[in-house]
Amino acid sequence: MAWRDDWRRVRAIARKDVTTELRAKAGFNSVASLGVTILILLGLALGPDAQALRDAAVGAVWLALLFSGVLAFNRSFQVELESGALEPLLQYPGPRWTIFAGKLLGNLIFLTLMVTIVVAVGVVLFSVRIPSRWPTLLGVLALGVVGLVVLGTFYASMASRSRAREVLLPLLLFPMLVPVLVAATTASKALLGADLMHDADAWIRLLAAYDVIFLIATFLAFEHVIEA
Amino acid sequence: MPTNDRSLDSSLPRRTGIWLAFACFAVLGAAQAYSISNSPAEGDMGHLQKIMYVHVPAAWMTFLAFFVVLVFSVLYLWRRREAYDLIAASAAEVGAVFNGLTLALGMIWGRPTWGVWWTWDARLTSTLVLFLIFIGYLALRGFVDDPGQRARWSAAVGIIGAINVPIVYMSVMWWRTLHQQPSSPSTLDPAYTLGLRLNAIALLLVMIYFIRRRYEIARLERAAEQAAQMAAMGGR
Amino acid sequence: MIASNETFVIAAYALTWLVLLGYVWRLVSKDGRARGDYARVSGRGEDLR
Repeated sequence: MAWRDDWRRVRAIARKDVTTELRAKAGFNSVASLGVTILILLGLALGPDAQALRDAAVGAVWLALLFSGVLAFNRSFQVELESGALEPLLQYPGPRWTIFAGKLLGNLIFLTLMVTIVVAVGVVLFSVRIPSRWPTLLGVLALGVVGLVVLGTFYASMASRSRAREVLLPLLLFPMLVPVLVAATTASKALLGADLMHDADAWIRLLAAYDVIFLIATFLAFEHVIEA
Repeated sequence: MPTNDRSLDSSLPRRTGIWLAFACFAVLGAAQAYSISNSPAEGDMGHLQKIMYVHVPAAWMTFLAFFVVLVFSVLYLWRRREAYDLIAASAAEVGAVFNGLTLALGMIWGRPTWGVWWTWDARLTSTLVLFLIFIGYLALRGFVDDPGQRARWSAAVGIIGAINVPIVYMSVMWWRTLHQQPSSPSTLDPAYTLGLRLNAIALLLVMIYFIRRRYEIARLERAAEQAAQMAAMGGR
Repeated sequence: MIASNETFVIAAYALTWLVLLGYVWRLVSKDGRARGDYARVSGRGEDLR
């Protein structure tokens, strides 16, 4: 079965990336620390009024995720490039999209760990009250993170090979993430409040549609991007 | 080698006549003069309505330019002809100019009308996001040296960016309606539509001239790049 | 009110022409540079041969 081989390739690349990160740890630790640091800075800038912090919590967490996520995505390709491993990776038989899928999966695992830390710290620092619909809130977070990882991985595959990767990736990525930021923060705010109008459902649908659309679009486009 | 050089020389674009530029700008000036003199001061807005004749066509041209980027990006990935890439890049630069102009004119109109320079309305915000996507596209082109990579990557960025524009518009519209009513410009009086159309056609001519001119320069730059490569390979 | 509105209208048209003519200026200078580059590079190529 061809798709089975493809899936094995995807898993192998993801496992390789995750293992590298786990062995080195420095990369993950510094990216996660940066996320927490951004949260602390935002708390200092917006506080100390508890209510003001609570209102700003969602936005602060998402900004911390975006800014630290950018570093994580660039790293995932930078590590390949520095060790000259991208060229051999491209030489391997099998469809190219498996490389993208593998990187995507690796980044998703990496980001999920980071998001857990950043969100936990955010809940504490911004004294967020956990609402009864917290599973839906987690769903919003997950959909948002998928969108972030899909486009982040895609743009990093280009930006990390350009002359100005540090600037180029956020410049390309952040405008694209405007719908994710708007949808995720608005839905989360609604869920943290009463959400009498059930606004959150519409936003969740938008996030899901966004994820599906760009998952398909980036998979199709990656073939053209990765060509040597 | 000499034959190559000659073929490059003969394929070098000729400078599009300065007269074409004069003609385009003359048409634009005439359209503006006509529409300004033929539009009486509007009830609510007074003379402010006259800003519409430059602002609205500029916005149309912005979206048209981005559409050109989308079409030629798709064409490039499909057919892989360098000309398509250069046309997309030229349209992106010209589109960014019109986009910046649209935003600035919108602010000049918004300040006396709404009392603020900026408001997070769906149109304004998505136009701003479009501007950022243009900037990213042009930055990417500036930071990638290999012509093939540059063309393929910017085509991908152009297409993915174009997909995003309607999604941004929708999300900002929903976002706004949850907070307050979106600011809608007053409905258009038929007396003003002729002026608007004339100005749109005039600005379209200017844009075509710009993209054409920019494309010729892009071809020149590529020819210089190729000549430099050939000189390097043949000489050393 | 009307007077200050007129200022905004004049500013809008002035800005439009400034931007459009400014872009023409940029195109002309870019064209000159590209032609210069091409002449220099292809000329050097012939010298080396």
